[in-house]
Amino acid sequence: MSPALYLGFATLLFGVGLYGLLQRRSLVAMLISLELMLAAVSVNVVALTSLTGHDASMGQVVALILVGVAAAETAIGLSLFVAIHRASHSIDVETLSELKG
Amino acid sequence: MNWAGAVFGASAATALVGAVCAVGLKSIFHNILGFALAMLGVAGVFLSLGSDFLAVVFVLVYVGAVAIAMVYAVMLSVPLDQPPRPRSRTKVAGAALFAAIGAAAIWLVVRSAAWPPATGRLDVAAAWAGYRFLRDYVLAFELISVLLVVAMMGAVMVARRTRAGAEDR
Amino acid sequence: MTGTVLAALAAQAAPLLACALILIFLRGRPRVAAGTAIAALTVSFAAAAFLVWQVAVPNTAAVSQTLWLPVQGGAGLAFGVILDPLAVTMALVVAAITLAVMVYSTGYMRGDPGFARYFGFLALFGWAMLGLVLASNLLQLLVFWELVGLASFLLIGFWFEREAPAAAARKAFLMTRVGDVGFLLGVLLLIRALGVATIPDVLAAATSPAPGFTVPLVAFLLLMGVVGKSAQGPLFTWLPDAMEGPTPVSALLHSATMVAAGVFLVARLHPLFAAAPGVMQGLLWLALVTALASATMAMVANDIKRVLAYSSISQLSYMLMALAAGSVAAGFFHLTTHAGFKALLFLSSGIFIHHAHSNDMREIAGHEPLSQKAGVIGLVAGSLALAGVIPFAGYFSKEMVLGAMGEKVGGVVLALAYLGAGLTAYYTFRMVFLTLRGQTPRRPVARDIAPAAHAAGHEEHFPKAAEAAMAWPVLALAALTLVLGYLGGFFATRLSPALPHEGPFHVGGGALVALALVAAGIALAWYEFGRAGALRLGFAERVPALKSFFGDNWYLDRLYKATVIRWTLALSRAAKWNDHTVLDGASDGVAQGTVWGGRILSMVQNGFVQAYVAVAISVVAALGIWLTRTGGLP
Repeated sequence: MSPALYLGFATLLFGVGLYGLLQRRSLVAMLISLELMLAAVSVNVVALTSLTGHDASMGQVVALILVGVAAAETAIGLSLFVAIHRASHSIDVETLSELKG
Repeated sequence: MNWAGAVFGASAATALVGAVCAVGLKSIFHNILGFALAMLGVAGVFLSLGSDFLAVVFVLVYVGAVAIAMVYAVMLSVPLDQPPRPRSRTKVAGAALFAAIGAAAIWLVVRSAAWPPATGRLDVAAAWAGYRFLRDYVLAFELISVLLVVAMMGAVMVARRTRAGAEDR
Repeated sequence: MTGTVLAALAAQAAPLLACALILIFLRGRPRVAAGTAIAALTVSFAAAAFLVWQVAVPNTAAVSQTLWLPVQGGAGLAFGVILDPLAVTMALVVAAITLAVMVYSTGYMRGDPGFARYFGFLALFGWAMLGLVLASNLLQLLVFWELVGLASFLLIGFWFEREAPAAAARKAFLMTRVGDVGFLLGVLLLIRALGVATIPDVLAAATSPAPGFTVPLVAFLLLMGVVGKSAQGPLFTWLPDAMEGPTPVSALLHSATMVAAGVFLVARLHPLFAAAPGVMQGLLWLALVTALASATMAMVANDIKRVLAYSSISQLSYMLMALAAGSVAAGFFHLTTHAGFKALLFLSSGIFIHHAHSNDMREIAGHEPLSQKAGVIGLVAGSLALAGVIPFAGYFSKEMVLGAMGEKVGGVVLALAYLGAGLTAYYTFRMVFLTLRGQTPRRPVARDIAPAAHAAGHEEHFPKAAEAAMAWPVLALAALTLVLGYLGGFFATRLSPALPHEGPFHVGGGALVALALVAAGIALAWYEFGRAGALRLGFAERVPALKSFFGDNWYLDRLYKATVIRWTLALSRAAKWNDHTVLDGASDGVAQGTVWGGRILSMVQNGFVQAYVAVAISVVAALGIWLTRTGGLP
């Protein structure tokens, strides 16, 4: 299997995730898109380390760490989401613009 | 028959279909389901690469834990009786544009690198990952554990309801 | 420091100190202020007398300077005092007249709310004038020249609440400024050519000029200052208007001392001017025309101060004619005697003005003028001196002037100068007869003069002390006019040793002609104004065209209003438009542009997270491609 296929797949997945990050209004939807992007990165790393001359177990380690980090981030993100909704009764990222100016 | 290729093709297709559902559909539940499907597909991709441990971890963590947590969070807060808001076409166009830019840049950068050819040896078994964790990357391993604990505590604290007038630590 | 230098510095320092004390501390204590000023001027007078005794009598000359601004490769800027007969004699004249005017003012200005301020300004003037006279460096002289102009402005516009004095003060300042521009340019050219502006050095360089030192040009520019300050030629119209100031100020500044500063300058720098004979010829003609013109204007004026003002212009012209003809002694001698009798005339007229509350001679005549004894004595003595009747001072000095001119100038000029002397006698005694003879009008007198331009708010009848304060200086000056004439020889030996001089008792052909003309003038004046049953209307006044022409400054003010003033106002309107629209608009535009630019830039910070992500993606993408594909950084 050539690495190009896997790289192409990872890039497509990343692009879809990026589209979702930029387009969706709801915070949960943005979180989902973010997870997709991270998954694409993991695929990239594992594919490259497996199919080229690099150390394959290294790729596994990185992917596993990524999973851990992504999970932790999802947890925090979801609790933040709950807290924001409780505070402003809105989960629309377009209305949460207090960084403005 | 090239099982790896077939598995890869099927899994990639599944993953992409799921991803499109995750970002394209209107209902948040459909998005979450699409996300789960996409993760299943990614697990399949890992299988086609030979990293079975990683595939299983993906399914366990993402489909089993993350997606469920998202469902919980959505249930607790999103006003489900409201109709979904309309999408602005400029926003869609802009998002698509920037996503395309990002993806194209990544493709170009990755393709421009001279990857050394495969050595033929595939050390993707779980045992090898374990070896690396407990020998060379033990610090990373420990830090991940700490990170997970801290994230748990943080999540609980952030989402907690504070009683009015009382400040408890 | 030698005694003379100390005296010179003391003479300047005392009035300066008085001015500062009065204007800062003594505004609310008028009598202390007056006393301080008079004390300071007494010190100056004593110092000046000492200087005259030490310097002028033995006829020595010295310069004492300190280097103030060293210049590498050059002589630098040195300030100091110059002590020679010309300077110290003028200093004595200035100090004496200032002191007399101050004493007189304690009576004249009694009750005026600005009494202390007045004395402060007089002290300022005293300092500035003495500094001008004793200055050893042309730049220093220029500084004091301007200060004297400032004092004049402040004193002419002393009653600034009224429009006329304020306008007159502005007019005086601006007109002399026009001349001062030339003066400044001349001094700057001098410094550029010579590197120094010390008066002895300038005079030495004038006789053997270095290349790049165009003496005629410098002389012409310096003369512009003289023309402005001494109210000659085109720049004279400020002086009649300056009569809006208090009468003692007119006596001091605008007859005796400040306007004489121009004459003093020509005398001071005479070798420089002598090296530019063409310029001197021009000055001669200008002064002649001015002398005759101002005499005609004096013939039709009804305001006593205006008559005296025109007379001052005329006599200044005579001084300048003498200098142009080459005799410093004659010009300066006439300056000295003129200071004495003109101040006398002004102060005497002040007594009448105070008594009658009017400047108009015809109204003064209706208020029992003969009861003011000191005034009568002063007026008559001064008039005899001004007209040039022997043995009064004016006769001797005018003789010296005409004699000096006789040596050098052509017949036409001389004839016209003599004619001027006759006219002087005529208008002077017209003034005397109009004022002193009781009014027997044949027709109603038009009230064409505003009520008296002096202090508003004083009592009707003056206490004896005030009247005495006004009377004594007048009587002292009147006595002086009998004595001053005999000093001609003193001036001749010290100031123009090269010229021949006969003693005061030599009555030559020219003197007889002059005396005849004077007698004719007085006779005509008596015929028209003095004798009982006279029409009291001069020969010039009968012709309405002449009367309005002479009476309106030969329409010069109208000419200026239609040309120079109009153009200047147009220019200033353009400048104002430029300032409001272009400059302010530009800076406002820059400010608006900055605000607008900031508003546009702040649109980046819209608080919209997805926009931030989009930008970040773009930047990273660009960076990545640049680094890996195009080989950016190594």
